[in-house]
Amino acid sequence: MTANQTPTTRVESARARVREMMAHRESGVFLALMLFFVVMYTVSPIFRRPFNLTTILRQISVTSIVAMGQTLVIVSGAFDLSQGSIAGLAAMVTAKLWKNAGLDPPIAIIGGLGVGVVCGFLNGVLAARFRLHPIVMTLATGAVFLGVNFYITRGESIIGLPDGLTWLGKGLIGPVPALIVLMFIVAFLMHILLTRTLFGLRVRMIGGNLKASQDVGMNVERIRVGIFTLSGFLSALGGIVLLGRVGNALPQIGQGLLFPVVTAAIVGGTLLTGGVGSMAGTLIGAAIMGIARNSLVVLQLNIYLQDIVQGMLVVVALLIDQFRRGELNWRIILGRDR
Amino acid sequence: MSIEHAVEMRGISKRFGTVQALNGVDLELRRGELLGLVGDNAAGKSTLMKTLYGSVIPDAGEIFVEGQKAALRNPRDAQALGLAMIYQDLAVFNNLDVAANVFTGREYTKRVLGITFLDKKRMYAESEALLSRLRINISSPKLLVERMSGGQRQMVAVARAIGFDATILIMDEPTAALGVKEANTLLDLMSELRDQGISIILITHRISDVLSIGDRVMVLKGGERQGVLDVEDSTLEDVEYLIVRGRPDGSG
Repeated sequence: MTANQTPTTRVESARARVREMMAHRESGVFLALMLFFVVMYTVSPIFRRPFNLTTILRQISVTSIVAMGQTLVIVSGAFDLSQGSIAGLAAMVTAKLWKNAGLDPPIAIIGGLGVGVVCGFLNGVLAARFRLHPIVMTLATGAVFLGVNFYITRGESIIGLPDGLTWLGKGLIGPVPALIVLMFIVAFLMHILLTRTLFGLRVRMIGGNLKASQDVGMNVERIRVGIFTLSGFLSALGGIVLLGRVGNALPQIGQGLLFPVVTAAIVGGTLLTGGVGSMAGTLIGAAIMGIARNSLVVLQLNIYLQDIVQGMLVVVALLIDQFRRGELNWRIILGRDR
Repeated sequence: MSIEHAVEMRGISKRFGTVQALNGVDLELRRGELLGLVGDNAAGKSTLMKTLYGSVIPDAGEIFVEGQKAALRNPRDAQALGLAMIYQDLAVFNNLDVAANVFTGREYTKRVLGITFLDKKRMYAESEALLSRLRINISSPKLLVERMSGGQRQMVAVARAIGFDATILIMDEPTAALGVKEANTLLDLMSELRDQGISIILITHRISDVLSIGDRVMVLKGGERQGVLDVEDSTLEDVEYLIVRGRPDGSG
């Protein structure tokens, strides 16, 4: 009996070790990032140019900033699919406040951020007080925000933005692009919020075990409203940074944002079922996606492959997710689970 | 009402639709005793305990906690009176560490610039102290609960309840999903707690568990109390007879 069990036990303990490693997903994702980076660094002379590396960071910064908000939402067990539309609306309101209302750029930016806060707050109230399902609800409010955007702009762009409005996306702090600095500041603050504050703990609690959270008597509604409001704020911030990246205020700003944002969070190890996720992971996830996109360019592969690569990365991330939660194993895949 | 009783329930009745789940049930839990609550499926054990914990409101009957009449409208009322209930499907947060679970709802915090930060250091230190006081064998309060065994999770839930100054512990089938060794560790913890003065009600299918660590055992059948036996002078057969056949004289 014992002799028979020994090999099984060894396999078991090896499996346990693998599971242990998978559980520390940031380290796994970080390893993947490093590996990817080192390969590209070695293979491509264009890739390792400082300018190219800065470009990657610039390209992932807006995605990362917005993805920090999405991570918070997903960790709480919900989704915010209206982020792209909030980004667009906030960007356009900012531009219009400058152009039509004649406000100074900083004031216009504050107004744009305010729009994000209001949109996020609305999402939060609908999710928390009215108990609407966040996926469909934010899909709907996203359509509303986009509609408001096109209604007030009549679909027209605003060109010739002043430096004050484009600085966040174009400006430099010393030698470093401002938006890269901004990305790291947001990541740091959001990391502290999620891991060190009572609010962050509550977010992880309601995402991990909603019923138990209610039993404890915490104010789940207020926390949800806070989460969506923050998500709206960061979406607006991302949209305003995009003004500078694009250079002009186009009403369709932010429309391509949602998929890379969700992708960054998922690739970064945020569990779709809630409760687990980290800002560092999301940053790493965004970086992996950024390098993937960049490598298509520097290796002179077809840039149109990027959607395929991005989509496949998400599928792989989801598979790892399933393995990690024990929902999937090789027996199931091979159809031997009876 | 008698002050020697931590809990006294009088004439508790509860009907769910056409089912009379409880019919005039009395229960006395003496201070510092471990009372086993046994009976077949649908005997009303869990319903009775849920009325004590405020998660089911009885149609009739009164509840006294520490000699005071208690109005229990929800579990928070019960918790305020020093009651804690530990369910089989545990209300623990698997995605958090032991300390966060032990301090759920009463975290130590410090405010800096208007932001409420967690005082993790203090929570780790105090949960470690609590675990060692209860002789719970969990190596670190930083362990994630999701990596723990079922027995360890139960112990985290117990530690949390005791940390909340619970003096009356209701445990609903705590050993049902555990292996023999783990179940025994948990039973040891329960006797340890009883020795520290905690009053415990243990719902279980394992009558031998009650007979090995309990003081008295109460039998329910069909929503009615069949009798209360002293563990000292009862055998497994005595208890099983009551569970299956009910009161010998049919009156109680």
